[in-house]
Amino acid sequence: MKELADNIIEIEHVSKKFGRVVALDDVSLTVERGEVVVIIGPSGSGKSTLLRCINHLESVDSGRIVVDGIPLTQAKNIDKVRAEVGMVFQLFNLFPHLTALQNITLAQTVVRKTSASEATSLARDLLAKVGIPEKADAYPAQLSGGQQQRVAIARALAMQPRIMLFDEPTSALDPEMIKEVLDVMLDLAREGMTMVVVSHEMGFVKAAAKRIIFMCEGHVIEETTPDGLSLSACKEERTRQFLGKILS
Amino acid sequence: MTVKTRPVQNKTSETTPEEKSLWQRLDRWWLLFVGVVVLTLWLTQTRPDPYRRILVYLEDGLRVTVGVTVVSFVFIVLVGLIGGLGRISKNPLIKGVASVYVEIVRGIPLLVQLMFIYYASPIVIRGLGESLAKSWPAMSARLIAIKINPFVAAIVGLTICYGAYMSEIFRAGIESIPKGQMEAARSLGMGYLQSMRFVVLPQAIRMILPPVGNEFVALLKDSSLVSVVAVADLTRRGREFMASTFMALETWLMVALVYLLMTLFLSRIVAYIEERTNYSR
Repeated sequence: MKELADNIIEIEHVSKKFGRVVALDDVSLTVERGEVVVIIGPSGSGKSTLLRCINHLESVDSGRIVVDGIPLTQAKNIDKVRAEVGMVFQLFNLFPHLTALQNITLAQTVVRKTSASEATSLARDLLAKVGIPEKADAYPAQLSGGQQQRVAIARALAMQPRIMLFDEPTSALDPEMIKEVLDVMLDLAREGMTMVVVSHEMGFVKAAAKRIIFMCEGHVIEETTPDGLSLSACKEERTRQFLGKILS
Repeated sequence: MTVKTRPVQNKTSETTPEEKSLWQRLDRWWLLFVGVVVLTLWLTQTRPDPYRRILVYLEDGLRVTVGVTVVSFVFIVLVGLIGGLGRISKNPLIKGVASVYVEIVRGIPLLVQLMFIYYASPIVIRGLGESLAKSWPAMSARLIAIKINPFVAAIVGLTICYGAYMSEIFRAGIESIPKGQMEAARSLGMGYLQSMRFVVLPQAIRMILPPVGNEFVALLKDSSLVSVVAVADLTRRGREFMASTFMALETWLMVALVYLLMTLFLSRIVAYIEERTNYSR
């Protein structure tokens, strides 16, 4: 029993098609509690789809996903799982009609039924944690991309999730803003948060990743550690090709 | 014509509308509005008979027109919200019902719909009542006894018709909000209806305020059609006055001026809302 519980995410033989396009083909992956797993791979390889399947933003065609002991099959489970799993999107997806603070308190009060004062104090703590306590009353349109993404991270953390999913969190940011977001993510990793990250930020990969999954055309074709992340250490030709491009 | 160059604005600073001088505020709308007001006043002052008499006679009708329009509009917004959500539902049955409703209603003129509800639906209800005479006598008696109140018929007719158009406005408004908003809300553990209520609809409503306002103006004008189903609205009162005095020109001039005053005023409010929503985006 103990052993089972330590695998916080279990993905077994998952396949997913969009029309005729195969997005995931018999993918299996387990993530341990407290582990930081980075998924890399060329675009269209199914990285984001896999991530979105973990909190059921996409449904799978076949296979099984178990998150923290809850199988993602019945509709009843889905909202429960989603509250445990924080998700950060490439385009932030902040709610533009709400202030930064309200973005963070909304789900707490609606889903967790937290009192407004409690939700607000947690939100202020989280804004301080991501380094922008002074932006509590700013609307998303008044924030820079990096600030917006940090609010988005705070919003996900407010639900006190056990797992955080990051879908290319820095791809839409200007280079000078990438670091401020990565720093927040690194802090989270150090605190022992379980994280699954789709990203090509090699700085983050080297500093925080425990495992690196390489995906290509819907398959997991190679798994390695940051130390093994060099051209010579990779077994697969396709991995070497891809790494050659992003490491240079 | 001088070429206007737009100053580059700081993205974060709020753009406040510049204080316009009194002269700039007197645009075409104001001239028209003031013109209509002056004409109305001039007519009623210089020739109280018949113009003032007509106006006094129309007063009850004006109240009915405003009442029917406002009450219908409340129901129309409700139907539009439900219909709009139905049109984007993933459930094929709900989506089908909503789509069939919209398609049928949009294909039938409002006048015909009102006639149908007032004159034809009592026959349908009575027929239904008679067919239930044996199996459910209590219900049967109740159905046969139903008399259609003209006000109810008018409000039901306007609601059914405008509700269909309003559904399309709501659908378009909801669909204009990026999918990521719903996904972000759902990923925080909020349910579909919670996400709609707290995240998608507040944004969608801001987007659709101008077309919804235009619908209100159109409804106010189309409410004149309820005069055919025995509702004593502004138009019907005008017809009654004309029938008893034979002053067609004077009567319809006054009726037209009263409608025009209301619609000019309302369309200005819609324009103001439009301006505001442009600023916030």
